[in-house]
Amino acid sequence: MKKITEALKAEARKLLESNAVDLVIAYEQGSDLVHLTPLFANTPEKVDRISYNPFAVNNLGKYLLDYAPGEAKIGVVVKGCDSRALNRLIQDNCIPRERIVVIAVPCSGQLDPEKVLAKVDPRAELIEVIEQGDNYVLKTSAGDVTLNKKEFSREKCLTCETPVPVLSDITVGEVKGEGKANDYAAVKQLEALSPAEKNTFWEKYFSRCIRCNACRNVCSACNCRECVFDMMEPYWVSKKTSLSDNTVFHLTRAMHVAGRCVDCGECDRVCPMDIPLRKLNQKVLKDVKELFGSPTPGSSAEAEIALGRYNPDDPEEFM
Amino acid sequence: MNKIIKKDQLAAVLDSIAAKYQLIAPVQDESTVLFKPGVAGKDVVLDAVNSTVSPKGAFFPQWETMYIYNTAEADFAIKYPEEGPDRVLFGIRPCDMMALLHIDPVFIGSKFGDYYYETKRNKTTIIGVSCAKVAHTCFCSTFGGSPTGNKGADIMFYDLGDKYAVEVITDKGKAVADLFSKFLVDDTGAPAEVEAKAKELASLLKPVDVTGVKEIMDGAFENPYWKELSRKCLNCGVCTFICPTCHCFDVVDEAYMCDGQRVRCWDTCMAKDFNLAAGGHNTRPTKLEKVRNRFMHKLKYHLDRYNLAGCVGCGRCSQKCPVNLDITQVISDVKAVK
Ligand code: SF4
Ligand code: SF4
Ligand code: SF4
Ligand code: SF4
Repeated sequence: MKKITEALKAEARKLLESNAVDLVIAYEQGSDLVHLTPLFANTPEKVDRISYNPFAVNNLGKYLLDYAPGEAKIGVVVKGCDSRALNRLIQDNCIPRERIVVIAVPCSGQLDPEKVLAKVDPRAELIEVIEQGDNYVLKTSAGDVTLNKKEFSREKCLTCETPVPVLSDITVGEVKGEGKANDYAAVKQLEALSPAEKNTFWEKYFSRCIRCNACRNVCSACNCRECVFDMMEPYWVSKKTSLSDNTVFHLTRAMHVAGRCVDCGECDRVCPMDIPLRKLNQKVLKDVKELFGSPTPGSSAEAEIALGRYNPDDPEEFM
Repeated sequence: MNKIIKKDQLAAVLDSIAAKYQLIAPVQDESTVLFKPGVAGKDVVLDAVNSTVSPKGAFFPQWETMYIYNTAEADFAIKYPEEGPDRVLFGIRPCDMMALLHIDPVFIGSKFGDYYYETKRNKTTIIGVSCAKVAHTCFCSTFGGSPTGNKGADIMFYDLGDKYAVEVITDKGKAVADLFSKFLVDDTGAPAEVEAKAKELASLLKPVDVTGVKEIMDGAFENPYWKELSRKCLNCGVCTFICPTCHCFDVVDEAYMCDGQRVRCWDTCMAKDFNLAAGGHNTRPTKLEKVRNRFMHKLKYHLDRYNLAGCVGCGRCSQKCPVNLDITQVISDVKAVK
């Protein structure tokens, strides 16, 4: 992984020094062993802070929206899943392709910080992460820890469709590994439940939600300039966290991201209340795929996008 | 502190309290631990370092109805909510008790006291439970706290492995302690054990030195650091909602035809409409102003106003921030910016 870090530094420095970009969005070491944190390198000096390892969990694509107004050119580091978000943002005209330099890192799966915390001394320093076949070896100041990928990876990585980014200007690291078609096993399990059972399942979670909006704010599909949940006039959704208001929040968001959710799983990761949001959004994703015969949103720049274009010849009468 | 309760008696102790008071205590909800009212002794869990969301909601709930009204009636037929039962808040950790003391002056004692907060505070007896372990994110000693601190408790339970040393601190506490006195056993060795435990735990806390930070913050409003720091923030509300000291709220009227209720809800300086004024002007429109406000409030404004720290070092925000924007990092960064 050291090689990837060094290559990222070199590429970022080149981009900034040649003025090809104004800013590179990458990762740097976070405040403990199990976290990287987003880095915004706008000078060649900051490039030295870049780091990369299997704790690069954040989808940095969302930050492009912050720089969409204006002319700045942005370099952004993406893994496979994140890259789908880039495609989808470009398709929605959120930011033009020409203003993005995609620094693609073919991914061998990210580790789940929570699971890893149980195995390492979080106060130790992370010296290096080495990939060895099915394992990651964490070299730390408190000794080496070998982590089996299957056991310690984030769940989404075990069924990754596109470990190699789907668009790229610069590729850093070895291209290896193939995507797997998602079988949506978790969704199918839920689909098999009776309506009453489904209700019980989701009510338990919806009532736990504290409406912190992390799921929305981290989501690249949530790119509306004015969000329905922020509006006071009209006051569409109450700020109360009653079950009924929370249900409106969740079902509305799930419908709003239909056709735009790229299944990066960020909502699920950031929820402080551990609400299995990916199950909800994957249900909508699976339905969209079946109904429109479209691939996972963002998988390719060319594919027709469901629910995202206006066409006067649309067979739907309402159009 | 010369008396102890065996841990296997805890459920019975709590049930004896619950027979007379509403018991608010931490329970497990899958991977989360949350304070809930009306729980049974056997369901109370204390093995987590701390609850996922702070227990401030027992006094300052995420949302509450302030009153209901009907605009068709004379004088709007305003009805206030009932006062609610006497309560015992059990299982609150030292950092969160200190947090209550730090937000009390916001709601109590000023010219316009807050009826809702103050009533709940008066009707509640607090039984603190010391920490059995600390997380790598805990840094309460930075603000004068300790994993065995008893500030703010009416009764304190000190975790000593298979037993709790019990200290009854206030008269309010005594009234509750009388309910479970038959479970108390003499143990003259307990105070020494508590002291040893306090030392052991204190040595595991994250060392974060806040000396001089307030003075730097006094002059750091225009520092470019805030802009750089704020880039990664998502302006979600995780850090502020789970925090024991954040206390901002919004008041909204929710009406259908003539019937309405005035509701108070948690608010956060991260929200889009937090500083939105009539006419559309927003005094803190971007990530920069929002993030700066959060840390100014924690490390300066609260001290300016009450001479109390705006953070108690519980570490929740560091743990749950989706982008690892860590307040301990900010504290050490601030010392370097000048
Ligand atoms: S889902 Fe795929 S690309 Fe995304 S982090 Fe996991 S393995 Fe990497
Ligand atoms: S992140 Fe979780 S708690 Fe926050 S609003 Fe979304 S579902 Fe609710
Ligand atoms: S600091 Fe972290 S938790 Fe707080 S608003 Fe920003 S992203 Fe959310
Ligand atoms: S700011 Fe963070 S560490 Fe401080 S009291 Fe609030 S949640 Fe805890």
